[in-house]
Amino acid sequence: MPATDYQASFLGRISLRRNQVIAMDGNHEQEDLELFSKHVSERFTELLSPPDDVVFDTLLSISWLRKLLDVFLCCEAEFKAVLMMGDDDHPFQISKPPLDRLIHEFLDRSIKALDLCNAVTNGLDSVRHYQKLAEIAASALGQKPIGDGQARRSRKALNSLLMAMSVDDKECSAVKTTERSWSFSRLAVNKDRSPGHLRQVAKKWSAAKQIQAMTWNLVPPRGAEGSGLASPVYTMSVIMVFVMWALAAAIPCQERNGLSATYFPVRKQWSWDQSITGLHEKIAEEWKEKEKKGAAGLLSEVQKMEKLVRNLMEFTDSFQFHGGTDEKAEEAADHAAELAEICKRMEEGLLPLQMKIKEVFHRIVRSRAEFLQALKQGGKSSAPPV
Amino acid sequence: MGKSQNGENLGTDGVSDGGDEKNNPDELSSEPCFKFDQILKDVDQFIEKFDSGENNFTCIDQFLEMVDSEIAAYELREASAKFGLNMEEDASFFEVVKRLSTIIRRLEELPSDSGAASCVNRAGSAHHRAMLLSESEFRTLLDLNMDRNEGDPRSKTEEEFPYFSTESIAIMNQIASTMIFAGYEAECCIAYSGLRLKALDAELSKLSFENINVDDAERMSWESLEVEIGNWIHIMRHCTNNLFSSERMLCNSVFSEHPSIAQRLFCELATSLTMRLLNFPNALVLPRQYSTEKLFKFLDIYEALLDLNNMEIGNNLSAKEFVSETSMVQCRIGETAVSIFSQLENSIESDNAGRIPVAGGAVHPLTRYTMNYLKYACEYKDTLEQVFQKHNEMEELTVDKVPENYTEKDDRCLQASPFALKLMKVMDLLDANIEMKSKLYRSHSLRYIFLMNNGRYILQKIKESTDIYDMLGHSWSRKRTSELRRYHKLYQRETWSNVLQTISHEGVQVNGKVSKTILKERFKNFNALFDEILKTQSTWVVSDGQLKSELRVSISSVMIPAYRSFVGRFQSYFDNSKQAGKYIKYQPEDIEELIEQLFEGNTTSMVRR
Repeated sequence: MPATDYQASFLGRISLRRNQVIAMDGNHEQEDLELFSKHVSERFTELLSPPDDVVFDTLLSISWLRKLLDVFLCCEAEFKAVLMMGDDDHPFQISKPPLDRLIHEFLDRSIKALDLCNAVTNGLDSVRHYQKLAEIAASALGQKPIGDGQARRSRKALNSLLMAMSVDDKECSAVKTTERSWSFSRLAVNKDRSPGHLRQVAKKWSAAKQIQAMTWNLVPPRGAEGSGLASPVYTMSVIMVFVMWALAAAIPCQERNGLSATYFPVRKQWSWDQSITGLHEKIAEEWKEKEKKGAAGLLSEVQKMEKLVRNLMEFTDSFQFHGGTDEKAEEAADHAAELAEICKRMEEGLLPLQMKIKEVFHRIVRSRAEFLQALKQGGKSSAPPV
Repeated sequence: MGKSQNGENLGTDGVSDGGDEKNNPDELSSEPCFKFDQILKDVDQFIEKFDSGENNFTCIDQFLEMVDSEIAAYELREASAKFGLNMEEDASFFEVVKRLSTIIRRLEELPSDSGAASCVNRAGSAHHRAMLLSESEFRTLLDLNMDRNEGDPRSKTEEEFPYFSTESIAIMNQIASTMIFAGYEAECCIAYSGLRLKALDAELSKLSFENINVDDAERMSWESLEVEIGNWIHIMRHCTNNLFSSERMLCNSVFSEHPSIAQRLFCELATSLTMRLLNFPNALVLPRQYSTEKLFKFLDIYEALLDLNNMEIGNNLSAKEFVSETSMVQCRIGETAVSIFSQLENSIESDNAGRIPVAGGAVHPLTRYTMNYLKYACEYKDTLEQVFQKHNEMEELTVDKVPENYTEKDDRCLQASPFALKLMKVMDLLDANIEMKSKLYRSHSLRYIFLMNNGRYILQKIKESTDIYDMLGHSWSRKRTSELRRYHKLYQRETWSNVLQTISHEGVQVNGKVSKTILKERFKNFNALFDEILKTQSTWVVSDGQLKSELRVSISSVMIPAYRSFVGRFQSYFDNSKQAGKYIKYQPEDIEELIEQLFEGNTTSMVRR
C-alpha cells in the first residue's frame, strides 16, 4: 500500500481515538508502540518470501527492492506519527534526555543514508549500462540461424558487459582505491569500455564504512527506556540500516569491502527482530557465496544476467557457422530469450526503483526537518545558527 | 594514391599509404572502376527486383568481395585518420555500407531454405566488420582530445569546448548515420554517451568540481561552505551558459539526421551532469539554522538554478527526472531563503538589548543593521519576489492577509506582493521595537530625540532605495514624515516650554510694577534650566546633519527672539550692571552659540560655559 495512504489511515485511527475523551493518558502511547512493532514485524515477515511475479531463487530482485523501499516508507511514516503523537501526550518529550540524544543519533544516521541513496542511484546507472549491452547481445543471438557477424557482434557486447561487471566489482571491493588505479581502470586503453556514469560521491567515500558508521552506538534500549519512545527510535534505526545495507548489497556502489559482515545488533526478543534478522541472514549467506566468485552486486537480475552471459560467451567463442541449427544453437537461442526477458524486467523496473530511492531520499530530508523543528520547539535547539 | 575515373581509390591489393601520393599501378586499374559501377548496378537491381523465386546471388558475392577489400583498406589506415582524407572516397564507402545493410535486410526476408544462407552469413560478417571499423573510429574521434598530445600538428582539436573540428564532426555524423541505418544504434549511442560523459566529467574537473558528500557538507564550517558555494555557482553558470548549449549543438551535429536520438542523448547527458551538480545544494538545505546574512549566498544559488530550470530539455523520461529534481532543489533553496529572511523578524522581536538604552538617544545598532540588510536584500528584489510568491503558493496563503493598520489608507497594500508584505511586516516590527526601546528613556526629551534619530535614519535609507520605497508606497513615507514632525513638536514642548515660561513677559509685574524679586527668580530659573539642558543635551547625538540643524534652527528661532526681548525689556530694572551681570548670565548671542552645541554628542567636560 502506498506510504501516503497508510499514513493517512493510521493517523486517522489515532485521531479518532484522540477525539474521544480518554481518561487514561499513558496507555494509548503504549498501544501505539505495540501496534508499530507489530506492523513492522508483519511487513518484514512478508518480505521473507519473494514477490509473486518473481522467478528468481535469490531474494534481491528489482521488484523485491521496490517492496522493501515501500515497507521503509510505511514504517517511517508510522514511526514519525508515533513520535509526534507521543509528543502530544507529553509535550516536548522528544527534546528531553535520553530521547533527544537518541533522536540526534538517528538523524545523523539518516544523513549517512542520504549519501548511500546517492551512491546506489549511481550504481543503478551501471546496471542500466549492463542492460543496454545485454540487449544488443540478446537481439543479435535471437536471429535464426545465427550468422558469424551476429555471433561476433554478440560476443563483443558480452565481453564489454563482463568487463563492466568486473570493473564495477573491483571498484566496489578494492580496499585501497588510490586515484591512479581508479583512473586507470576508468580510462582504460581498451576503447570498447567506456564509463557508464558519472561519480556521485566523493573519491574516498566507502559504502561499507558509511554503513558501519551507521551502526555505531546502535544498541537496543534497556530496561525502563525500552518501554518508552526509545524503542521505536531503535527499531527505525535498525530498519534504516538494514534497508541501506540491502541496497548496497544488491547494487554496485563504491567500496563495499567488508559489508557482508555488517553486524546487526538485535535482540531476538521482539517479533520484528526475527524477521529482519532472518532477512539479513539470508542475504548475508547469498553474499558469502557470491563473494568468492566476485560479483557486481547481488541484484538477482544481474546475477542471472551474468550466468547467461557466461553461457552465451562460451557459445559464441566456439561458434562456427554451418548453415543449419543444432542443439547448441537452440540452447543459445533459449538463453538469449531469457536474457531478453531480464532486460525487459530491467527496462520496466529500474526507473521505478530509481524513483523510489529518490522518494526515500526526499522523505528522509523532510522528516529530518520536521524532527529538528520539533526538537527546537522543545526548548533545546539543535546546533546553534551557522 | 592512384585515382580511378570516379575518384575511387580501390587499393585492391590491400596496400595503402596514408598521404603517399605514389600511384599504385594495378593491371585492373581501369577495369575495377567499371566493374565497381556494374556491381553496384547489379546489386541495386537485385534489391529492387527482389523476389523469393530464383535469385542469383553472384552479384552479391561480387559485391561482398569488393566490400571486403574496401573495409580492409580502411582498417589498415591509422586510427583517427581513417576518414577525412578524401571526401568522395569516404562518401562512397558509407554508401556501400548502407547498401550492405539494405541487402542484408532483404536477404533476411528470404525463407531459410532458399539457399541464401551462406550468402547471408558472408554479408553479415562483412557488415559486422564494417560496423567494428566504424564504431572504433567513432570512439577514437570522440576520444580525440584525450589522446592527442598538445601541439601535435595533425591534431584537429579546436580551442573551445567540445574541441572538435568541423571535419571530425562531419565524419562522426556520417558514421552515426551509417551505424543507425545498419541497426547498430545501440552501439553508437553507448559509445557516444560514454565518451561524452567522460569529456564532461573532465570539463568539470578542470573547474575544480568535486563531489561533496552530504555527511561531509553537514560538518563543514560556513567559511568553507562559502568557498564551495562560490565555486559551485561559477560552475553552474558555466554549464548553463556554455557547456549545455555546446553539448546540445554537438548532439545535433553528430545526429543531424536523427533529431529524436540527438534529443534523447542530450537529455540523458544533461540529466546525468545535473544530478551530480545538484547534490551540493541538496546537502546545503538540510536544515540547519543559517543566520540572516547568509541569505544572499542562497539567493545567488537560486538565481543560478533559475537558468537551469529554464533550459529546454524535451519530453522523454530522463527529462522528467531532470525537471522534477531541479525544481525540487530550487524550491528547497527558496524555502531556505524564506526561513533565513524570516529570522530577521525573530531577531528584531527578541532584541531587548538588556534593557539598557542606547547612549545619547542615537540610532540603535538594530535599526542600522535592519535597514542596511533590507537595502542589500532589495538588490535581489526580483528573486525575492519570486521566492516569496512560490512560498505563498505552497502555503496557500491569500493576499488578503494585509497588515491591519494599512487596510483603509493604503490600497497599494491590497495588491502588494508577498515580499512587499513581508517587508512591511519587518518595518512594523522594527517600529514596535524602537517604540519599546524609546520607553526605556526616563527623560521624555531624550525619548523623542531617540525616536527622531531612528525614524529619520529609516526614512533616509528607504529613500536611498527606489525598490524599497516603491514597495512600501508613497503614503507610507508621508506618514513617517508627519510622525517625525510630531516628535519634533513634542520634543520642543517637552524641553523648552518650561524654559520659555521663565522668560515670558507675563507675570513679571506685581501691581503694575515690575518686581525685581520675580525678575531675579526668573533669570535664576532660566539659567538653571538652560544650563541643565546644555549639560545633558550636548551629550545627546543627532547624527543626521539635516535633522540636527532643523532642531537647532527651530530651537533658536523660538528661544533667541524670546530671550532677546526679555533681556531687552527687563535688563534695565537691575540696580547696576554688576547686579545685572550676576543674574543675566547669558547674552542673546551666547544663547545662539550655545544652542549650536546641542546634540553634538560631546562629553560633559567638553561643554563650554
